[in-house]
Parts: sequence; C-alpha cells; structure tokens
Amino acid sequence: MNDRSLWWRIAWRNLWRNSRRTIITAAALAFGFLSCVVMIGIWYGVIDEMIETGTNLVSGQVQIHAKDYLPERSMHATLGGQGGIEVGTYLDHLETEPYVVAAAPRVYAGGLVSSGEHTVAGIFLGVEPEREARVTRLLASLVEGRLPVPGRRELIMGDEMARTLDVRPGSEIVVVAPAADGSMGNDLYRLTGVLHSGLPTLDGAYVVLPILDLRQLLAMEEGRVHEVALRVSDPWVAPAVAMGAGLMPQGPNGPPIQVRAWTDFRAELAEYARLAFAVNGIVVAIVFGMAIFGVANTLLMSTFERRREFALVRALGTQPRSVAWTVVYESLILGVIALAAGTLITAPVMYWLHEYPIDLSRFTEGFTMAGSAMRPVLRAEYTLDGPVVSAIGLLITSLLAALYPAYRVSRIPPADVLAD
Amino acid sequence: MLAAAGPRRTRTLGQTHALILGLCLLPSTSLAQSPRDIIDQVDRLMRGNSSRGRIEMQIRTKHWERTLQMVAWSLGTEYSLVRVEAPVKEAGTATLKVVDEVWNYLPRVDRTIKIPPSMMMGSWMGSHFTNDDFVKESRLIEDYDIAFADFGGQERASYWDLSLTPHPDAPVVWGRIDYRVRKADLMPVWARYFDEGGALVRTMTFDQYQRMGGRLVPARMTVVPADKPQEVTLVLYQSLEFDIGVDETFFSLRNLRRSAVP
Repeated sequence: MNDRSLWWRIAWRNLWRNSRRTIITAAALAFGFLSCVVMIGIWYGVIDEMIETGTNLVSGQVQIHAKDYLPERSMHATLGGQGGIEVGTYLDHLETEPYVVAAAPRVYAGGLVSSGEHTVAGIFLGVEPEREARVTRLLASLVEGRLPVPGRRELIMGDEMARTLDVRPGSEIVVVAPAADGSMGNDLYRLTGVLHSGLPTLDGAYVVLPILDLRQLLAMEEGRVHEVALRVSDPWVAPAVAMGAGLMPQGPNGPPIQVRAWTDFRAELAEYARLAFAVNGIVVAIVFGMAIFGVANTLLMSTFERRREFALVRALGTQPRSVAWTVVYESLILGVIALAAGTLITAPVMYWLHEYPIDLSRFTEGFTMAGSAMRPVLRAEYTLDGPVVSAIGLLITSLLAALYPAYRVSRIPPADVLAD
Repeated sequence: MLAAAGPRRTRTLGQTHALILGLCLLPSTSLAQSPRDIIDQVDRLMRGNSSRGRIEMQIRTKHWERTLQMVAWSLGTEYSLVRVEAPVKEAGTATLKVVDEVWNYLPRVDRTIKIPPSMMMGSWMGSHFTNDDFVKESRLIEDYDIAFADFGGQERASYWDLSLTPHPDAPVVWGRIDYRVRKADLMPVWARYFDEGGALVRTMTFDQYQRMGGRLVPARMTVVPADKPQEVTLVLYQSLEFDIGVDETFFSLRNLRRSAVP
C-alpha cells in the first residue's frame, strides 16, 4: 500500500468518525445539487417551450425562399423561378435530408376579408393541411369548427379576426386579393373553423386555406410556392441544416434560394436562449457559493476536534503538506458521496417534473415571452449540461471548502498541541 | 400591405380623373398671381363641376401587362364612381368614393365591400397610382406650402415651376411635390413626387393636350415609379364630358352595383 492510498483511507475513516455530521453535510450538498439540476431543468423547459412555441406555431424552424423573396415578399418571387417546381417531389426529397423531420409548402398573399358590413385586412396563408400538421401546430390550434377541405372554397381564421368580422363557422366570407396576373382576385368562401394561437398577429390577421384554393384565387400556376418550412429533430441543429447543400429545389444550378434557420428569423429568441444558458452558471455559482461556507465550517470543526491526532502524526515526522491533503481528500470523498446521493434523489424528482409539469394555470392564463405564446406550465427538461455543470460545481465546492481547513491543519504546531 | 391595394387604387382613379379635370379647367386667360393662386384655381374651379369620362388604363409591370377600359363619373372632389368595362373578367367591378368613404363592388361574388379607412395605401389593379396621392390632391392648398421654383431645362421661360412642401402637421405621405405647369394655358406638364427623405418616388407626365367636352385637357398621363423605371401606367382619356347634370344622389351604393350608365 503506497503512501497516497493510506491518506485516502485515513480520510475515509475520519469521515465516519462522526457519521451523522457527515451525512448532514453530504445531504446539504446533495440538495444543492438537486436544486441546481431542477432549476436548470425548468429553465431549459421554459426555453424549449419558448423555442417550440416560437418556431412550431407557424414559422417552422428552417424556411426556404427564393433568393429574391425577402424582404419585399413579392408574390412573383416563388421557388424555382418562372417555371415553379415539382412541389411534391421536392418536399419528399427535403424529408430525406439529415435532421429534417417534415417539410410543408406555403403560399402567401395580402388581401381583404369581408363579411356583411365589416372588412379587415388579412394575410392569406395557403397550406397543405397534412404536411402542415407535421411541421407546425398552426392547424392544431383550431378551437372551433373544422379544417377547410381543399377545393371547396373553405377557410379558417384567427379568433380575433372572426370577432372583428362578427362571423362564426358556417358564415360566408368575401376574400379579395391582388392576383398574379394583375387582376383583383375575389371569391366567396365559407368559414369552417376558428384558430386561437395566443399570438395577436396570427389571431387577428391570418386567414388559412388550402394552398390549391389560394393559388386559384391568386391566378397562380401549380408548382408555385413562396416558402417551404421545415421541422428539424432538434431546434439547435436548425442552423446546420440551413447550411446544407441539398436544399436547392433544382440542384446547384437551379435558381438561387435563401435558407434561414429560426436563429436568424427569430434572432431575439436565440439571443434570449443564449442569455438563459449563461444564467445557469450563475445559478450554480450562487447555490454552491452558499454551500461552500457550510462545508468549510463542518470541516473546520471536525479538524479542530482532531488537533491532537494531527499534531501526533506531525510529531512522528509527517510533512505538513500530507496532513493538509488528507483534509482535502476527506472533503472530496464527502463531495462524491453527496453527488451519488444527489443523483439518487434528483432522478425521480426530474422524472416527476418532466412527466407531470407544474401547472400554473391557476395563477395565469398563459403569456407571451420574447414573442412566443407560453403555456402556463413549468416542465423540467432533461439535459446533459444541467447535471454535469452541477456536479462540477459540487466537486469544486468540496475542494474550495477544504482549502482553509487544510491550511489550518498544516499549520498545527505539534509540540504545543501535544503539550496541552 | 398587398391587401389594401385593390380597392384603394380604384379610388385613385376617380381622384385622378378629378385631378386632371381640375388642372385642365383653368381658363387660359386666368392670370394666376401667386403660386398658391395657381393651385387654388384648380381646386376652386373643380367644385360643383360634374364630369364623365371614358378612360383606358394601360399597365406594364415586370410580370404582366394589362389594359382596362373604364368609365368614371365625378362631382367636385368629394364624389366619384369608376366602373370597369373590360376585360370581361373584371367588367362591372366598380368603386365609389363619397367624401372619405370608399366602397368596392365585386360582380363575381355580387358583394359590396366597404374599404376600411386604415387601408388607404397601395395601388389599384396593379397600376402605379397610389390612393393617397390622389385623395390628397384636392387638398393641396390646405396641406402644402406652395412656392415658385426653377427646375431648369430648355424653354424654361414658358413654364411655371412650383414646389409644394407639406405643412409640418399635414397628414400627407410626400416630402415634396414638384409641379411644372405651362404658362400659356396652365396645362400641367409633369409632377414629381418625393418621399420624406427627399428621394424621387415617381414621375407623372402629362401630354397629348386636346379639346374634350369643350375644354383643353391632357389626354394622356404617364406614371413611372422611380424604383422600377421599366414599369409604367398610362391613363388615356378617350372622351370627356362636363356638367353632365348629376348630383350627390347619383353616387349611391345602388348605382355602384348597377351596370346601367346614365
């Protein structure tokens, strides 16, 4: 047995001289670990919710447009240039790209929506209902009625717009929009359902209808698409997906496209998420910063009790440094025990908060944060960096807490102490 | 917003009609003294005057070209009615403006839509007219300070050059309007519209001066947007009658929907 493992053994035994004190100290650290992991988990949950609602409601996580579509959003700037594209083939191809879960085509137009005495400006959004449902929750936010059936001149709109127009499912709606041939497209539609998303723009200004019907209203040819929205397997891979070379509708020699990830078109959301990640470090620092003093205090007490023993080993010729190290070992072992215990208690709590999120709907009906409609629940997200950052914080805490007690021990004058 | 475009432009046309008439009705003998007087004459002479004109509008954009035939009635600056007669697809589409309110009639769905006042931007049928220009034309002397200017060029001496700058609190979209008017008969030559940053937005040119309905008018007006110089809208007067004996009751929702013309 070498010298170092001997000191580890001594440290281990010292810990259990007063097992109650050790357990209480370890418990403090373990709860510190628990609070950090849970807080970070909930924080991530809030961020995920924000990104999810911010991107999955209508925008998608990656958007593909013709190069000249933005910022003017000219109705003529469709993907594939003059000839349009084979929409179905293109979308199927996109869904084979890495990380891409689903792709949905859109056609946009601005126009008037009218019923009876009331007329409002609206944004027409043409979608393919089945594909759209796999990319965004837009159609899932239907709160009344049913979805429009393609080819039957049916549409749905936000509840705020429905209120302004004083219409309900079944009502007749006049739609007017400048068409691609310069004429004024107009037609009679029937409202089949009402959406509520929580986003004022969407609820107040959007009219959603099958892409085929909107193309007809706008005198647009088949194969014309303004936007393709993608859903990716993890929001944070969206920028990488957007850089991918396989997104061109007609190969690298086709008309140029512009691809943007949500981190571009919702830059404030990405900034907010990054800010929130930085906050994690602060949470860990505060929790364990407090714990350091508690652990240091315990170690000071336990080493003070053993002054005579330390003096004795010093008198027998042990280097002050070796004596000091044993205190550090002791604290590190304490940290590892706390970490193990902390993991044991944290796992079920995280599971619980993930599966059964805290429901705050008693206190609020939901709110908008960084432009995303939030549901009033606190769900803890599983993350790797939560536990890792907390574990590092915990071990650094036990190390730092041992420094001063170790220094004190190394300075024990053997003769004086033994003489007492 | 694109949406707003359609209905608004219609109104534009009525106003255009009124504007042209206004500019043209100045008697050539009139001795306008001040810049303000020149514009004021236009305004004053227009009031109470009714007219009916047949108009062809040719629009050329990057993506399409089209020609509309229409009939327009006006009474003063407050009332106008414009009805599209061709192409067939849009025949019967009509717009009524009464004071500050605008309605559109859509024959395809047989519905009348009242255009909300918040939607007074954009252009009609893809033309390069915006509603706001023409709605505000009738109030030039109220909203603008008018001063003589010198835009140079050849035969400079035969024109009145006028520079119109909006009053600080005037509800207008332009930063400045430059007008050139012929001294001899007060016929407009061109007008240039600038935004608040001083950049040229569009140029309107008048020509083909001829007598219609007993008055000298520019039978053609050309609008070219500064940012798309290859695009153009032409307004051609094919006929024009004055004092046709209509009053306010003619400008009704019933007449908006009716295809018969008086």
